[in-house]
Amino acid sequence: MSSPILRAISRVGVLFGQKKAESEFDTEMQTHLQLLTERFMSQGMSPEDADAAARRQFGNTTVLQQNHRESRTYQSFSRGIQDVRYGLRVLAKSPGFTAIAVVSLALAIGANTTIFSVAKSMLYDRLAVPDAQQLRTLYWHATGHSAVHGMWGSFDSSPEAGSRCSCFSYPVYQQLSAHNQSMQDLFAFQQDDMNATIHGNAHRVHAEMISGNYYSGLNVRPLLGRPILPSDETMNGSGAVVVISEGIWERDFGRSPSVLGQIITLNQSPMTIVGVNPRGFTGASDSQTSPDLFLPITMQPVVAPRHDQSLLDNSNFWWVQIMGRIKPGVTDAQAEAVLSSQLQAAVHGTMQVKPTETIPTMLLADGSRGDHFTENDFKKPAFVLMTLTGFVLLLACANIANLMLARGAQREMSVRLALGAGRLRILRQLLTESLLLAAMGGVVGLLLGYLGRNVIPRLLSDPWDATPQNVHFDWLVFGFTATVTIATGLLFGLAPAWMAARAEVGSSLKESALTVTRRRKGMGGKAIVAFQIALSTLLVVGAGLFLRSLFALRSVDPGFRTDHLVLFSINPPASRFAKGKDVQLHDRLEQDFAAIPGVQAVTSASIVYIGNGMTNSTFLPAGEAVDRNKRQSELFNRVGNNFFATLGLPIIAGRPFNAQDTVTSQKVAIINQSLARKRFPNVNPIGKEFSTGDKADGLVRIVGICADNRYADLRDDAPAQFLMPYRQQTEVGGLNYELRTSLQPSELAPALRAVVRKVDPDLPIVDIRTQQEQIDSSMQNERVFASLSAGFGVLALALACVGIYGIMAYTVANRRNEIGIRLALGAQPGQVQRMVLRESTWLAGAGIVTGVAAALLLTRLVKSMLYGIQPYDLPTVAGGAAILLVVVLTASWIPARRAAGVQPMEALRHE
Amino acid sequence: MNPDKSEVLQGTLDLMILKTLHALGPLHGFGIARRIEQVSEDVLTLNEGTVYTSLLRLKQQGWIDSKWGTSENNRKARFYSITKRGQKQLTVETENWERISGVIGRVLRLEGGKQQ
Repeated sequence: MSSPILRAISRVGVLFGQKKAESEFDTEMQTHLQLLTERFMSQGMSPEDADAAARRQFGNTTVLQQNHRESRTYQSFSRGIQDVRYGLRVLAKSPGFTAIAVVSLALAIGANTTIFSVAKSMLYDRLAVPDAQQLRTLYWHATGHSAVHGMWGSFDSSPEAGSRCSCFSYPVYQQLSAHNQSMQDLFAFQQDDMNATIHGNAHRVHAEMISGNYYSGLNVRPLLGRPILPSDETMNGSGAVVVISEGIWERDFGRSPSVLGQIITLNQSPMTIVGVNPRGFTGASDSQTSPDLFLPITMQPVVAPRHDQSLLDNSNFWWVQIMGRIKPGVTDAQAEAVLSSQLQAAVHGTMQVKPTETIPTMLLADGSRGDHFTENDFKKPAFVLMTLTGFVLLLACANIANLMLARGAQREMSVRLALGAGRLRILRQLLTESLLLAAMGGVVGLLLGYLGRNVIPRLLSDPWDATPQNVHFDWLVFGFTATVTIATGLLFGLAPAWMAARAEVGSSLKESALTVTRRRKGMGGKAIVAFQIALSTLLVVGAGLFLRSLFALRSVDPGFRTDHLVLFSINPPASRFAKGKDVQLHDRLEQDFAAIPGVQAVTSASIVYIGNGMTNSTFLPAGEAVDRNKRQSELFNRVGNNFFATLGLPIIAGRPFNAQDTVTSQKVAIINQSLARKRFPNVNPIGKEFSTGDKADGLVRIVGICADNRYADLRDDAPAQFLMPYRQQTEVGGLNYELRTSLQPSELAPALRAVVRKVDPDLPIVDIRTQQEQIDSSMQNERVFASLSAGFGVLALALACVGIYGIMAYTVANRRNEIGIRLALGAQPGQVQRMVLRESTWLAGAGIVTGVAAALLLTRLVKSMLYGIQPYDLPTVAGGAAILLVVVLTASWIPARRAAGVQPMEALRHE
Repeated sequence: MNPDKSEVLQGTLDLMILKTLHALGPLHGFGIARRIEQVSEDVLTLNEGTVYTSLLRLKQQGWIDSKWGTSENNRKARFYSITKRGQKQLTVETENWERISGVIGRVLRLEGGKQQ
């Protein structure tokens, strides 16, 4: 930054209003000169002499003009620009300091921006529809024994609060919709995974089945073509049309307008594409990701049949979500009351309710963010991450404040004060400098945040099912970053600026020349360093807890061999593989997969372990009566005959399943040790019989006992469980496959596809992954927390290192004299070195004690996020403290050595 | 230069202009220069251009205000007047000046006495 730039700016300034001021001043001067000339002439001078005399008396007009111009520009520009220029010069003069400050700020601000943008989009982003704030989601709530039994959708239930659910039966929806007064149109929808074949490639898609008034209710118009309309849902099975998402349009159709009218196969049914959704539209249930396609709900019996009856006529199965816009002038409470009574009427009108059962009441919830059922799962992690990054930012601020103090700005300020600078002006100058630093850090941080905005969603999603998810980077995020940047600039700039401006003119000039004793003034800087050490301790202890949680989780033995196990799913649609056909299909696929070279063993299973899925089924040993007050169901898995051998799950007693177990033979089951202990204490369960509540099963005989294993999640102890062979079933639907093989999933995939294509070219292989990847994905939260907090911890240590080094180097430099005298009076260099190290140890001690105390208070809040350790885990806390101590001593080693190396004579002569 | 004449002390011109405007009301630059010339009884030499530098400075401080008007002989001229803040400043500066000049006067008399 040099004066040409300033001149350029003042020239720009001239363009605005300076011209006028200049010509006015010219007029003023001319008038003055004329008046003077006239005066001299009236005293008898000749016109020439009078003119010359007037000019002499007035002085040099050009210099005056110049002065005025500069004075005017400086008034408007110069102070700010001078400050900025000076600030830049100061920063450029100490590039090391500037680099450390900008990089640490950029990292801290970038981290804050990233976490904020993710938290914002997960917790606050609205649906991309006009007037989203009018939207309401309908829920029902019931206590005791609810009349609703069969459900498909989000469901909350606890003994105290009763159950809460956002799904309704289609007949109930029709009645509510027909009698609706308090809301604008009520529309219904439900998401389901389907198999789509587009251009001959079969893959799985997320589809949303919607009522005909869905698009008009949301007030969304397609980008291309037409929406799903009420005319599409005239009767069950009508409306073989789909509207596709912009994402699919781009991926599979290259944004070609000729997409309209093309036919795709959805669960084996041909469907015509009639429209493309606008960019950013994500459907009604979620503001993050969009379903891939939308189809009329009346297609459910054709495309996604469940049970034997069409769900559209089924009053006992509740599965559609309902949303609508509230009418202007109607309060939520009024609408709730009206809808509740209508819901009761609809339930009575469509279902048979037993006297002991309760009828649900209606609840209205904000629908502007869709059905944010999982929101609470994100709240705490988002809050914890925001806090962690906040600490990092605070740490970066403390670091810069400390470095600014230590840079000895104070002495320079005293000189400036002595030369007549105003205190306010100095305060402004220093603040400008910190804001400059903050701005540089903020710009780089914003860039980092922008680049990193999708990192966290990617870390949180399954690697084999990466739905493209974009965190919106909008003005709110920008505003947040800008605010944070300015706040940090003020935060780390204010203290040094205040101290500098408060300095007495003489004091620091005198002091720096004459002080020989220990300085008492450095307390501000030292307090900041102690604070830094405390924050670092907190972050390091936090990182330690999350890391140990992750390791504890990883070292859990799931009970079966997880290595070299490849998983995938095959979901034959009921429309193609009717009852019995699906069992035959799985039977054949199991054999064909086993024949692939490199595959050692194959089994199928309805549940993949450590996959967060579970099913349970009634388990009533023969002779035990039904007891409503007791939980009589147990976890359950339906498996292939090779299951135990493939997974390496040992059979403790009895036999595994074999080829003799068929549809027509005696139904058999294997129970695990926990179930044996729980339901058959002191009895040998083998040969015992039980019923599952399913009449088709009849009495099932227990033929073996297997070892325990972790079921849905590594965190929970191995539960009681029983297993039955799928081959004895008349209908199974989709199954997961588990292959023991030394091949990688990518090497295996082509062979797998070839096998499946031979059977049915429209059948996709879904989610090919290894068991280890599956387990890793169940630890995503832990891994994200461990890696982020470890990163923050390392950053914190680095900053603390810089801070402690800075302050100790500063202290030593200031005490050169004193140290010189000590050495001259006979102190050993080792003693001097120890003296410096002792001082930093004190600082470290104070910081670490504070940090540990804070950590003990705060980590309690993350207790629910830890596994296998307590928040006050002694090794972690002690380890964190030890790391800090080592880091502090290492960082002060160099200044200590320098102190010990002071030459007494030189130090004394120096001043 | 005439040995009887003194240069205007740095900073005192502002004070003189403020006082002039306070005493005489709105004046243009030429008028201010004449008034100072008259009051100083030709003791002070003044580059009259510097009056304008001083006026600009005072204006930027908000102590005076200016307005375009017509002078006695029908010329367009800018008239300066003192503001409220300017009057306050004048009081402060006047007190300061009196205190300092008093001290300097006492000091000078004192030293003179010792020598005699």
